[in-house]
Amino acid sequence: MERVIGESKKSFMTGNEAAAWACLAAGADIMFGYPITPQNEIMHYWTRMAPKYGKGFLQTEDELSAGFTVCGGVQSGKKAFTATAGPGNVLMQEPFGMAEAMRLPLLAIIQQRGGPSSGTVVYSQQEVSLTTYGGNGEGHRIVYSTSTHQEIFDYIIKGFNTAWKFRFPVFILGDGYQAKMREPLEMYDPESRGIKMEEAYPLIGLGGKIGQDRGPSHLCNIYSLEEELYEVITKVQAEYDALAPQITEYDEKFCEDADIILVTHGVVSRAADDAVKALRAQGIKAGYFRPITLRPFPQQELRAAIAKSGAKKLLIAESAIGQLERLVKQEIYGETVKIETLFMPGVGIIESDLIDKVKSVL
Amino acid sequence: MALVRIALAGEGGQGVQSIAEILAEAAYNENQQALYIPNFGLEQRGGVSIAFLQFSDKRIGAPKFQKADIVIALSERAVARTISYSGAETLYVYDSSFKVEAEELPQQAKQIIALPAIDTANNELHPRVFNIIIMGAVIGLSNVVSFEAAKAALEHKLGYKFEKDPKLRELNFKALEIGREMAEKSLKEGVAINA
Repeated sequence: MERVIGESKKSFMTGNEAAAWACLAAGADIMFGYPITPQNEIMHYWTRMAPKYGKGFLQTEDELSAGFTVCGGVQSGKKAFTATAGPGNVLMQEPFGMAEAMRLPLLAIIQQRGGPSSGTVVYSQQEVSLTTYGGNGEGHRIVYSTSTHQEIFDYIIKGFNTAWKFRFPVFILGDGYQAKMREPLEMYDPESRGIKMEEAYPLIGLGGKIGQDRGPSHLCNIYSLEEELYEVITKVQAEYDALAPQITEYDEKFCEDADIILVTHGVVSRAADDAVKALRAQGIKAGYFRPITLRPFPQQELRAAIAKSGAKKLLIAESAIGQLERLVKQEIYGETVKIETLFMPGVGIIESDLIDKVKSVL
Repeated sequence: MALVRIALAGEGGQGVQSIAEILAEAAYNENQQALYIPNFGLEQRGGVSIAFLQFSDKRIGAPKFQKADIVIALSERAVARTISYSGAETLYVYDSSFKVEAEELPQQAKQIIALPAIDTANNELHPRVFNIIIMGAVIGLSNVVSFEAAKAALEHKLGYKFEKDPKLRELNFKALEIGREMAEKSLKEGVAINA
């Protein structure tokens, strides 16, 4: 694979630019996309760099088409990806559903903006429900929620591998702040870190004779019989559940003796990290738990953190009204820890918001 | 360096976002942690544009903030727009040419400073380097980056223009220096207010 970064290098750039570089470093072949703020610069940077590295780009007529062309791209054996936000993410749920049905290893970068509808072009965490369980299916997908530019870079590289290794669509869930802000990160070629990139391979148009040289490549998104669909979905669910422990990621700090655990994801977890340290400095035993994968969710790990700390309360904070909270509740059903919430839809959460909230509920 | 939070606000076209980006990059080049985020809502299409900057020697948390250590308002409208970012510990800076009444200025601030940046740019230098004077003033007020790093970052950003017209380099560096001196002088002469 071509090394595009060379010596690993420190850089100072926007999250969108970091995302485009990461796709290049991961060996992505082609992007299909349609413009929408705040992800536009992923397309801009990709189209600027793609010709230099023999990569492809197609701007389609809308997000439905962008989603379906990514589905086609991966079937032909190309590492294909897209990026979108807000109403574009809504439109892409139909092709993303197809990717779930046909187990297509596409990668989509979502930079959340305010909603519903056109909402704002700025920021939110309101696309959690949509990105984890959107579509008319069972959420057979993998969602990484990043919090820094370094993670955008790292998880895009990892995301392509997860997609092609396990054959589930992968989502990198960022937001407008991460898209537009500038901060340092270190870029690298995966091989230089000992990361082996999974090879892409065609899923259709294969050689040889079916039944003799190879089995059938059965990519299906419609079935004649209810029982047929039932059988397939049940099998996929079992595979997903079995793979989940290998895929699930989380971050946890200060939970051993915590009276209250802050549960946040994405960019809000940066404020939570600062808040927990400030609270500890004031003698308040706060803990920090952050799901990095929202699908599959680190259910066992959060239950274990609650158990070992004996925490009386969780504080779930998000730039949305209860989208993370609903995920957490369904995953830790049966726990008796009291759940407090800080919901600030469409606006940022800073450490003082969290500190004040913790003090008001303890 | 402990965390320093700066909000720069001005009209579209004043070059607020450009100098914010240059300052953040200069800090990064000096091995500091820096985070810069523009506001990019619909108001940027003909409204007050704000740049949120943070500098620190440690990892920086949330990208935006409620109270800044330094607020610089570069237009009369920007004064009204930035009052909420001024708190008891804030150094609040505006241009001395603005026609603003005392009650229109923030009621909460550690110190309020009026700088003659617009007049200086128009009369002594060139209107186009107004933003560079402000960039110099940020350094004079906060030392978030060294003067040398700021010059290097300017060179990096505008070098291609300087090559075509070396007088531009001189003009920009002079504006940077004047801005710094202006700010340092104001800090010394300024009277702390008890908000």
